[in-house]
Amino acid sequence: METFNNFLQGSITLFSDPINVLIFLGGVIGGMLFGAIPGVSMLTLAAILLPFTAHLTAEQGIMLFSVIYCTGVYGGAITAILFNIPGAPENAPTAFDGYPMTQNGQAGKAVGAAVICSAIGGVVSTIIMMIATAPIADWAISAFGPPEIFALVFFGLAVAASVGAKTFWKGWLSILIGLMVAVVGLDPVGGIARYDFEMPYLLAGIHFIPTILGFFAVSEIFVQAEKKVRGRYEAPELSVDFPSLAELVAHKVAVVRSIVIGFFCGILPGIGATLAAFMGYNEAVRWSKKPEEFGKGKLEGVISSETANNAATGAAMIPLLALGLPGGALTAMMVGVFQMHDMQPGPLVFLTSADLVWVVFAAMFYANASILLIGFLETKTIINLLRIPFQFLAPMILLLATVGAYAVRGLTIDVVVMFLAGVVGFFLRRSGYSVAGIVLGVILGKIGEQTFAQAMQMLHFEWSGFLDRRIALGLLIAGFLTLGGSIYGAFFKKKPSAADTSTS
Amino acid sequence: MGKLRPGHMVEAAFWLGLCLFLYVYSFEFERDIEIYKFGATAWPRVIILLMALAAIGQLFHHYLRGDEASSQMISAAVDDGAEEAAHEAHHEGVKWYLSTFALLSIPFVYMRVPDWIAGWLGADQTGLHITRIVVAAILIAIVVYCVRHYRVRVALMLPLFFAALLEDFGFYVAAPFFIIGVMYVFGERRPAHMASIMALIYGILLLLFVSILFVGLPVGNMRPFYDIGSWVVTVLQ
Repeated sequence: METFNNFLQGSITLFSDPINVLIFLGGVIGGMLFGAIPGVSMLTLAAILLPFTAHLTAEQGIMLFSVIYCTGVYGGAITAILFNIPGAPENAPTAFDGYPMTQNGQAGKAVGAAVICSAIGGVVSTIIMMIATAPIADWAISAFGPPEIFALVFFGLAVAASVGAKTFWKGWLSILIGLMVAVVGLDPVGGIARYDFEMPYLLAGIHFIPTILGFFAVSEIFVQAEKKVRGRYEAPELSVDFPSLAELVAHKVAVVRSIVIGFFCGILPGIGATLAAFMGYNEAVRWSKKPEEFGKGKLEGVISSETANNAATGAAMIPLLALGLPGGALTAMMVGVFQMHDMQPGPLVFLTSADLVWVVFAAMFYANASILLIGFLETKTIINLLRIPFQFLAPMILLLATVGAYAVRGLTIDVVVMFLAGVVGFFLRRSGYSVAGIVLGVILGKIGEQTFAQAMQMLHFEWSGFLDRRIALGLLIAGFLTLGGSIYGAFFKKKPSAADTSTS
Repeated sequence: MGKLRPGHMVEAAFWLGLCLFLYVYSFEFERDIEIYKFGATAWPRVIILLMALAAIGQLFHHYLRGDEASSQMISAAVDDGAEEAAHEAHHEGVKWYLSTFALLSIPFVYMRVPDWIAGWLGADQTGLHITRIVVAAILIAIVVYCVRHYRVRVALMLPLFFAALLEDFGFYVAAPFFIIGVMYVFGERRPAHMASIMALIYGILLLLFVSILFVGLPVGNMRPFYDIGSWVVTVLQ
């Protein structure tokens, strides 16, 4: 009952302020559009908006990002289905059956299924998040000290590195580069300048906003420039033809199964929503009586993947809000929003800023529900907007990024750093490295070093102290097992063929 | 040699060279911290060690498997087509990288060379500004010449060059040319479209950031560009 009252209070706060409503609607439409437009993603939008959240309250900033997260994950399904270009990694399995459906003239039905299942997965996940996050945060206050947080950071990085890049080694190199970037500036214990190369600019460290803008928004434009040389994109024709109620009811088991899978994968730090979508899809194939039909345009493939990835969005907020640890690139940017308002996400947020938490929860609930409404009413409009030529979109995005990077501190050197990060990101991406891994490394590197130092001081520099703390020990063991499994896989397992990947 | 290619060895050499550089530089800040026995160097050195191990592991992976992806299925999800696009566009090989880095040096030439020339000539502030305008004009001419032949390379360099010019020429003067340049690089050739879209984007940005949000953008520090920028701000605010 208390949860429901808090939710009502959050809803009232959200809708009683016209500015909040405007930000909410902007986030819903912006997330959906940027998720859907080929060549950009919700991460591009989030990176561009990040510096401007300084002009908003912390409540509005976090709410905006959470709404973009929910609708952006759905928006990415549109490009996966229509162009075979997943808007984000978590939409990749949607393309396995969504794109063949487009080729079979069933694009409308595939988009319709994505709309309905994204909304269902997201709403259910948000409800569970509302019920579960506060008790987890309460427990975390007493159970999570610096050793546990350091162990969780290690586990999160081990998971992220294992799945984020072309090879396990490139995944780790991406994370380590991010950790190294986080080292630049003053060390967290003694305040000694590290890797400043006697440049005053570097004393304060490399600012995360130009870094994030460069790695996500700018490098994406560069990658598109290279693709443009090959003239890849052609907008397909689309008729909107939603699946019938009978078809949806026939897939109810797939929906429920994907919600459960999505939610539990979403809680994992790392890249939970991606794992969720793949596991949702894989389980659908495994449970099917006709697995050979997957990969050829089967509706259940789209339903399983889209339900699972949206179910992971609510779950991904749990480690962020209950423990203060981001699980993916977008939640890492949310940490940036908190920091810009001199706040730290974590269990104490429930005590100090309960209003913020419940407005965010309410906004996520309504954002997921609005996917259904906007999906039904505006799908055709959105698809027409997808036809904006990229040569007109690119200068707009680059200039928005320029203004964003400059506005943080009023330094043109930040703009140079951003475009340099874009160039570095471009070269790393085309070599199979993961820019999301780098950004997670940057964000978690600072938290990791600080909590490691605190943990070692707390344990009187005795490594065996970790053995006495069950949660920390468990997380460290889980991290090492993930690491060991990945090393074993990297050397001894053969990569499955393309056919295996899509059907097994 | 297994499945190793020269590119793999260059990649490994880059990472190991970077590790060596970062390790050697870490002695610059090797100092004791009274309350923390690991000091300021332990954390970065562990990262450097892991980086070196990962680079060696990567080399060994290339030796055994060549360019094959790891067995984890999620790797496929993060494949954004960047690698494939590079391969299809034949943007690989030492020659491509060398010419790309040569073009990428243009913004840094602008950041450093005018000061050297002005210092060498013993020029005053006005002389320095004139030198900067002349150097910028020469570099812009080089970029215009290159854009027809090296579109992707210019696309990489153009934003950096724009950022380098911002301090002197200001956002208000440089942005319209930048918008047209990016559109051209991305394949737009119709002058009327370029002019109208440029006016639209420039207008929206100024209205949103200058008139509504009052974001201070760089106005430049050389006349007459500074005057133009200041005039735009005065009119819009």
